[in-house]
Amino acid sequence: MAVNLSSAAPQPAGHYRSTKRSRREARAAYLFLAPWFVGLLVITIGPIIASLYLSFTDYNLLEEATWVGLDNYVKMFTEDPRYLNSLKVTTIYVVVSVPLQLAFALALALVLDRGLRGLTIYRSIFYLPSLLGGSVAIAILWRKVFGADGLVNAFLSVFGIEGTGWVSDPDTALGTLIILHVWTFGAPMIIFLAGLRQIPSSYYEAASVDGAGKFRQFRSITLPLLTPIIFFNLVLEIIKSFQSFTQSFIVSNGTGGPADATMFNTLYLYLSGFKHFDMGYAAAMAWVLLLIIAGLTGVNFLASKYWVFYGDEK
Amino acid sequence: MSSVKKTWSAALLATAVLAVTAACGSGGGDAGGAGDKIKLRFSYWGSDARQKMTEEAIKKFEAKNPTIDVEGEFSDFASYYETLSTKVAASDAPDVITIEIRGLREYADRGTLADLTGKVTTGDIDAKLLGSGSVDGKQYAIPTGANVFPLVVNPSLVEKSKAKMPDDTKWTWDEYVEWAGKITEGSGGSVYGTQLSWNPGFLEIYATQRGEKLYQGNKLGVSPQTLKDWWAIMQNMIKVKGSPDAAKTAEVGANSVDQSLLATNTGASGMWWSNQLGAASKAAGAELDLLRLPKTPDAASGGMFLQPAMFYTASSKSEHPAEAAKFIDFMINDPEAGGIILSDRGIPASSKVLAAVKDKLPPADQKVLTFMDSIKGELGDPVTAPPKGASAMEDMLKRYTEEIIFGRMTPDDAAQKFLTEANAALAG
Repeated sequence: MAVNLSSAAPQPAGHYRSTKRSRREARAAYLFLAPWFVGLLVITIGPIIASLYLSFTDYNLLEEATWVGLDNYVKMFTEDPRYLNSLKVTTIYVVVSVPLQLAFALALALVLDRGLRGLTIYRSIFYLPSLLGGSVAIAILWRKVFGADGLVNAFLSVFGIEGTGWVSDPDTALGTLIILHVWTFGAPMIIFLAGLRQIPSSYYEAASVDGAGKFRQFRSITLPLLTPIIFFNLVLEIIKSFQSFTQSFIVSNGTGGPADATMFNTLYLYLSGFKHFDMGYAAAMAWVLLLIIAGLTGVNFLASKYWVFYGDEK
Repeated sequence: MSSVKKTWSAALLATAVLAVTAACGSGGGDAGGAGDKIKLRFSYWGSDARQKMTEEAIKKFEAKNPTIDVEGEFSDFASYYETLSTKVAASDAPDVITIEIRGLREYADRGTLADLTGKVTTGDIDAKLLGSGSVDGKQYAIPTGANVFPLVVNPSLVEKSKAKMPDDTKWTWDEYVEWAGKITEGSGGSVYGTQLSWNPGFLEIYATQRGEKLYQGNKLGVSPQTLKDWWAIMQNMIKVKGSPDAAKTAEVGANSVDQSLLATNTGASGMWWSNQLGAASKAAGAELDLLRLPKTPDAASGGMFLQPAMFYTASSKSEHPAEAAKFIDFMINDPEAGGIILSDRGIPASSKVLAAVKDKLPPADQKVLTFMDSIKGELGDPVTAPPKGASAMEDMLKRYTEEIIFGRMTPDDAAQKFLTEANAALAG
């Protein structure tokens, strides 16, 4: 490289220099990017390709993988009720918790947007659960709070209601996880707040001159102008909740119990791979999950044409 | 057209793609070697206390064998097998591997483990116990110690609840249910008679009493009727309030022994492996007793058996098989190692080691030892390594038991479904 440079040096002619310089800069840029590219290839792309291959094999970790074609994919949908159950549990979780969480986030963002005194403090407090929500510590706390002798039941007993062990009852266990998810509304709330700030106040002034009430203003100004943000949050939260793992893993002690009531798809995948020594099957599940999420995201984008309003179209 | 829209879409699409493909990272890496010494890697799980003891024993071994450097690979139990299977898959298996009986065949049949027959001295180990570490006539695994599966009882709570301690040489399951119900009633509900267990050890004992085996070759050996009657004990127990309602039962069942009803003095009894007695006594702050499990009225035998606490095995791919065997031999047979480890890995398997450390054992384990001696004549056939896939049995029993106690499945239905699923898992 040094030789190259010195031989190039004696002929500094016009525009050549600039291309050479830009080429050199490009080289430097690639050099700086190299560690990332290597990481991407080795840590992300490599395993992704390996997992695609493994999904067509019977692989128990201890012996060589043997090719079984589509067997894993067929088994999933024809002879594994636990897999179908895990899809059902995950779907319920996503369908219930995402809209609830977004509604919560939006409601709080609207309140905070009023310009309360000490806004930053409130904002931080409400954002806190988002930072903690995915953590192991909170999941353990959840088990205690919703346990038979937990905080929730202590509170209910004040009113003479005798609660159950919420986390360990199959009818309510998933509910506690949904509440945990809704509780982590901070991230979408912050994004909503930013979106609300972008709506020009002149719109509201004009509307109130025209005699529109608060609710009317919300429906006709805030909501339509906020649809891109709602869309953004919706897509991200759907993807995120499909991939939820920690909550169910910790709250159920890694079993998806009671009676598979909290068996998320990701948890079943994990158990299949590492506990049942069925890594090929687990890899196939991962790919189906990817397809499901990608498909849903695609549908979301298509549907967005009909309800998302970008402010500069009719 | 709108540029705003395009920008938004592009940004969103990019973020979405990132989020979809986001994968978990993982750390790792090995420490460097230690000069020209032979390096042995030894994997095990457990508490901090166990790690300290083990490190001490390793130091002693290294002092006696200055050319060998043993490196302990320690993790908590929850992640132990995940880590182990990943290491084996990556051809990076530790030289000496600690393993339990339920996963033994899994690893032995797949060629992971070395045959230790004749490589480790086993003359001082009870033949029945030693047999549990042999698969198809090859001694792949050396048991560290023994456990039994008794009913652990707090006599003072039983007395306080105006109930009597049962005669465990001849009590039946019906009497057990009645007894537990009485304790709950007598204590005014502040103490439950017992905490339900769905441990495979419990089912194994129950099946043996009815002349069946938990595993028969590559299949489950229990009949649907036995399963139904086994679950009926639990249903009855909840019905007479001898144990808490389903939700609380499931909750405490998921906790470790030091958060059990017994440990918090809100329960008078429960079934655990005997190595848990120390932890339970300490948490309860009370003197606890061990009882034989109840029997079916016409039981052929009590069904109690010696369970290997854990095994030491050696990797078949180890570069230093002789040194690995030497280390296992030291851990099993050397009284000095025994003096450090004591009953941490079960009541020592080697009778020679046991005799040397007997007086140093903590009181709880002395009690276990006395109990083992008292049932010695009644012990059943030696346990054999269960078929591949048996590791999943514990979770499966738990799940089906939950379906039953929450009334989401009838025992008939559950027995059929359980047998189908379990046999599929064992065959697969």
